[in-house]
Amino acid sequence: MIEARQIDLSFDGVHLVLQGVDLHVRTGEFVALAGPSGCGKTTLLNLCAGLVPLPVGQQLQVAGQPPALGSHSVAYMLARDSLFPWLSALDNAAFGLKVRGMAVQEARERAAAMLKRVGLGGFEHKLPKALSHGMRQRVALARTFAMPSPLLLMDEPFGALDAQTKLQLQDLLLQLCQEGERTVLFVTHDLSEAVALADRVVVMSSRPGRIVADVAVPLPRPRSIRALQTSEDFHHTYTQVWKHLEEGWVHHEG
Amino acid sequence: MKKGGYTMKAETLRTLLQHAVFVGVVLGLWEWGARTGAIDPSFMGSPLGIIGFTVENLGNARLWGDLGYTLLAVFSSFFIGSAAAVATGLAFVTWPRLEAFCEPYIAAMNVLPRIALVPLFILWFGLGVGSKIALGVSLTFFIVLSTTVAGIRGVSQDHVTLTRTLGASSRQMFFWVTLPGAVPVLFSGLRLGLIYALLGVVGAEVIASERGLGQQLAYLGSTFNVNGVWSLLFDLALIGVLIMKLMNWIERRLLHWQ
Repeated sequence: MIEARQIDLSFDGVHLVLQGVDLHVRTGEFVALAGPSGCGKTTLLNLCAGLVPLPVGQQLQVAGQPPALGSHSVAYMLARDSLFPWLSALDNAAFGLKVRGMAVQEARERAAAMLKRVGLGGFEHKLPKALSHGMRQRVALARTFAMPSPLLLMDEPFGALDAQTKLQLQDLLLQLCQEGERTVLFVTHDLSEAVALADRVVVMSSRPGRIVADVAVPLPRPRSIRALQTSEDFHHTYTQVWKHLEEGWVHHEG
Repeated sequence: MKKGGYTMKAETLRTLLQHAVFVGVVLGLWEWGARTGAIDPSFMGSPLGIIGFTVENLGNARLWGDLGYTLLAVFSSFFIGSAAAVATGLAFVTWPRLEAFCEPYIAAMNVLPRIALVPLFILWFGLGVGSKIALGVSLTFFIVLSTTVAGIRGVSQDHVTLTRTLGASSRQMFFWVTLPGAVPVLFSGLRLGLIYALLGVVGAEVIASERGLGQQLAYLGSTFNVNGVWSLLFDLALIGVLIMKLMNWIERRLLHWQ
């Protein structure tokens, strides 16, 4: 689904932001991209979304095509909920479908079903100001999952939430991913989140961002966030990822 | 809730009573001063004289004709000035180089005391409504222009990024994201623009006009009818308040999501 080969990226032509990045994400995989702040995780995600132009000569394929803004194969979810305050929860959830040309009625029906799925049945006509942070992020999840895009690019979608809401939404994301054949590239700086959600955790080093480890997560699916807290495999993988992250720092400092 | 509602009502009543007492004392002292000679009524007028003139003037067709004339000029200048400002603001945001080029001219015109343009406007458009609208437009335009540009530039970058990743067309981006996102800031400019339009039109009428509340004000002043001047000033203040109420009403309906 994503094939990146030896990607080098610099914004000013002098300092590298990404260096020799190889990333391969297979269809149906959930890959978490972890690393220290400023290591280029979001930049790599934005390259895949077409938000950052791919430099000439660099090889990156997303769903079999060079990355392009507006590709129907891709749905993007930002760190903040980015709901439109003037639209109801229902219209926010239907926004992506409407922009991509689906008939209004059909888009609203699909969005209503997805809102119900994320636990917001009965809140369709509420404005974002009437919703809590967690509920707003559920609407954003509904907006993302309402689109039939096979690839989801998620940029720290739960980064701004309190710990308890975060766990609830992680569980919800696990369920949503288990229900459909979706490929997910998920940026996070929270290692336990990365291990709990992903099939693989790709660890990046400090700038220039390089991939220093690709750790397979040996946890079976379906998963439950609560059950993972007592899993030895979970803690072992977490320690492994942490070690690689530390190596990335040491290498950078050295 | 009931208790809260009751407290609120009592609070409002107390505030109203305080204002009524204050205004009553001021007007009472003023009337007393005018009657005893402590205040010269030929320069300051008197509250009862003002009320008498107001009641008499309310039955005068001239007042309503002048009011209509002034409001026509105010709303015309508001709509023309705002439309031109929004269009220019959009052009500036779309082509920043155009904005950079125009910036010194806009800045120079914006600091110019616009009332000083009245002689030119009278030369160009005559003593009629045209010169009043021109001054109103010159005041409305700049305030709405600056808020249009600020409003569009202030649109949430998250909204823009999300919509770009969805592959939105320029039309979708403008009507679904940029315009609604800019409306709160733009609206504050429109509210000020309407007040400035009133200010410009009445100012131009006071200087030279065939009709209008400003012209009536100038006439009453030149004939030493001080009660009449006060009466018209209260009328203008009332019009200003009503305009603000109208804008608040529109804002509440338009921006109910805030």
